Amino acid sequence: MATDFWVSSHYLRWNVDSAVLRQARAEDIQYVDHPEYLDFLALFFAGLIAKLGKKLSLRQRVIATATVFFRRFYLKNSYCETDPFIVIAACCYVAAKAEESPVHIKNVVSEARSLFSSEATTLYSGIKTFPSDNAKLAEMEFYLVGDLECDLTVFHPYRTLMTLCWKEGSDVISEAEAGELGAGIDDGPRYWGTGEGKLEMHEGALQMAWFIINDTYRSEICLLYPPHLIAITAIYMACAIHQETRGDIEKQTQSGAYAFSGSQGSQGLTRRSSRPSSSSYKRQQPQDIVGFLAGLNVNMALIATITQEIVSLYALWDRYSEDATTDSARASLKRSASGSRPEIITPGLLIQLLWRMREARSADLSGAHSTPGRPVAVNKMLERAQAAG
Amino acid sequence: MTHQQNTLNDPMKMYRDKRDMARKRVTDKYAIQGFISSGTYGRVYKAQSKESDGRIHAIKKFKPDKEGDVVTYTGISQSAIREIALNREISHENVVALKEVILEDKSIYMVFEFAEHDFLQVIHHHSQSRTAVPMPVLKSLTYQLLNGLLYLHNAHIIHRDLKPANILITAGGVVKIGDLGLARLTYQPLQPLFMGDKVVVTIWYRAPELLLGAKHYNKAVDVWAVGCVMAELASLRPIFKGEEAKLDAKKNVPFQKDQMLKIIEVLGTPEERDWPGLKNLPEYSSLQRLDKYHDRLGEWCRTRLNSKEAFELLRQLFAYDPDNRLTAKEALQHKWFQEDPRPTLNAFASLAPNQGYPQRRITHDDAPSMIPLPAASQAQTQTQAQQLAQVQAQAAHLSQQLSTHPHSGKAGSAASFASLSGGAAGVGSGHARKKTRLG
Ligand SMILES: Nc1ncnc2c1ncn2[C@@H]1O[C@H](COP(=O)(O)OP(=O)(O)O)[C@@H](O)[C@H]1O
Ligand SMILES: [Mg+2]
Repeated sequence: MATDFWVSSHYLRWNVDSAVLRQARAEDIQYVDHPEYLDFLALFFAGLIAKLGKKLSLRQRVIATATVFFRRFYLKNSYCETDPFIVIAACCYVAAKAEESPVHIKNVVSEARSLFSSEATTLYSGIKTFPSDNAKLAEMEFYLVGDLECDLTVFHPYRTLMTLCWKEGSDVISEAEAGELGAGIDDGPRYWGTGEGKLEMHEGALQMAWFIINDTYRSEICLLYPPHLIAITAIYMACAIHQETRGDIEKQTQSGAYAFSGSQGSQGLTRRSSRPSSSSYKRQQPQDIVGFLAGLNVNMALIATITQEIVSLYALWDRYSEDATTDSARASLKRSASGSRPEIITPGLLIQLLWRMREARSADLSGAHSTPGRPVAVNKMLERAQAAG
Repeated sequence: MTHQQNTLNDPMKMYRDKRDMARKRVTDKYAIQGFISSGTYGRVYKAQSKESDGRIHAIKKFKPDKEGDVVTYTGISQSAIREIALNREISHENVVALKEVILEDKSIYMVFEFAEHDFLQVIHHHSQSRTAVPMPVLKSLTYQLLNGLLYLHNAHIIHRDLKPANILITAGGVVKIGDLGLARLTYQPLQPLFMGDKVVVTIWYRAPELLLGAKHYNKAVDVWAVGCVMAELASLRPIFKGEEAKLDAKKNVPFQKDQMLKIIEVLGTPEERDWPGLKNLPEYSSLQRLDKYHDRLGEWCRTRLNSKEAFELLRQLFAYDPDNRLTAKEALQHKWFQEDPRPTLNAFASLAPNQGYPQRRITHDDAPSMIPLPAASQAQTQTQAQQLAQVQAQAAHLSQQLSTHPHSGKAGSAASFASLSGGAAGVGSGHARKKTRLG
């Protein structure tokens, strides 16, 4: 399994397309003015998971697993019919166990309580309803594992990044390799592509790729694409953004040296073990990065699509701010300036939105009169009436 | 209370109601026929599917994780999470197949394909009847065990608890490795394995590197256990049957002196030259204090495994240096498996019809407290009721057997499975895993 992504539950049951994703948000979308808000919610929730994870000293991979659990849960449920905050806490709790680094349930409860109440102080206090009772979280865990269909093993792009770029003594990757290292990393055969050897990246570029991967969890990219493609996209992007790396590539391109050299695989292999201090070597003859990536033989059209998704995520993120003062001042200013939709979205706004969605749906279900100005709710009732009649 | 108030006070209520409504209960889908076994983590039942195929299954029910003696529910145990997570991903002829998991009333039910026999039972049977396990059977069982292990190891899973009770065999003679409750993925673990579970593998099957306190261990611990199991099939008693030293008050793991002694009495005292790095192991000085012994494995084999190749294989499965020990893959390619009799897909193929092994015994005594049996027994036909009486008689017989047979002391003392969590930051006393585990 761990060797074979293609027969994993991750690939077989949880790699979905955008139609499935749309279907999953079908209910929520009726309660927001613009679908974009749902992307902001996705961004916001992932941020909360990362924060809670940090408070619990979870490793990056555990946080990533928790986020994937959260996204999978919301493939089957709506934001407006559930309480995403307890779901977030349960995701962290289960992910810690699934990644074999458990945390005590009462720590999760108390850290979640303190985080979620501080998040909400600025605008909304309703979030304080987070339970203080361990049993509530345990109960949520149970339902969560059910909705996850007990598929608790998740693949992440970090692994591909490590397989491709891991080198002794790298600070970037060291967080991920604290394992059975007496015997060396058990990195097994690759489950994709055809290339061999290692890519020797600048420390800065490697760091950047790692951060890009972290960022992808803020959107639903982790549900849509296989992790190795996300990793390779991150490497491409990092190489393009990282100054020094880009310089190397440009030089090679000019000299034509990047053209598919048949020996790139073995070159990579020898380079892995040698060059104790490779910076001087690199300057003389940098590795053929473009050739190496081409040699991986993965679907470039998909890499381009994923790049697009990541770029859109960053564009969205630019309009999101967690700065508390923004909440009161900038947001409302922007709102009045641009009509109804605020340009800067804040957690406070999103929490408010969530509560409105929940209330509206609840009112909807209990058959109460829908408030004027909520045409979606009316439509929904009409639909139901038609369906019933 | 209106809908609206409801959602605001308990926003998940509607969600839970929806899920609860949709949920099929265990007893809706299965008729429980009886109780097979009880361990620390839960109980195993025999059950028949109510679907038209009427297949037989083994249902493992995990008790809710308790904190000490207090029945406060703290969530799903690490062991259950582990076993479920791994089982959902794997599929191999020689590894027991998980059919489904049912979550119900804070309990977890794992539904497995049913296996009529297990290695422990085969060993019992021969030791009772004072006969040896026929060589074709012994060899096929060992081969299939290694074959299942190769699959697990290729998938980067270390089983960490291989022993006769955890290795099942179907009525058709196919070996099924079971009980992944202690198994772990070794693929890029976030923390060293020894930090999670300080004590792994039942003491009689525990590899010397673990006994000597090695901080890093790997798949080779499973291969050692296979050696122990193969030897046990040959001699019908554990080859290294040591007394387990208890954990001290601080839950430190003591040096398992008697177990180490049992090993060196047969294999000889290990030397630095066959195990480089031996001197650096934490318990090296403790080892030095033990009497010195010569290698007597050849002698041991002469009366029990009458084959030079079998002896050679065992020798290499028992290599002291884990790096020198055969891998599952190398073991499968061993000459012993190429000489006659060859291993068969049905391990029992060579047995005459009257030589078969008895069916797994089931009991009913404590079943009512777990899965509601009345519903199941109502559904039972008269013949089943007769079988039931028969089974109960057998059960009485079995409990007698168990108290007299050397295997009765399930794998040393309770502490043999203790998995003490010490590593993870902020875990405190390691609530989820501090429990002692019985076989
Ligand atoms: N699939 C199965 N078919 C038949 N019996 C089984 C099956 N799985 C387990 N058992 C029986 O139940 C016992 C305990 O199961 P196991 O999975 O080892 O749980 P534990 O964690 O309690 O040791 C086994 O030793 C075996 O006798
Ligand atoms: Mg067991």
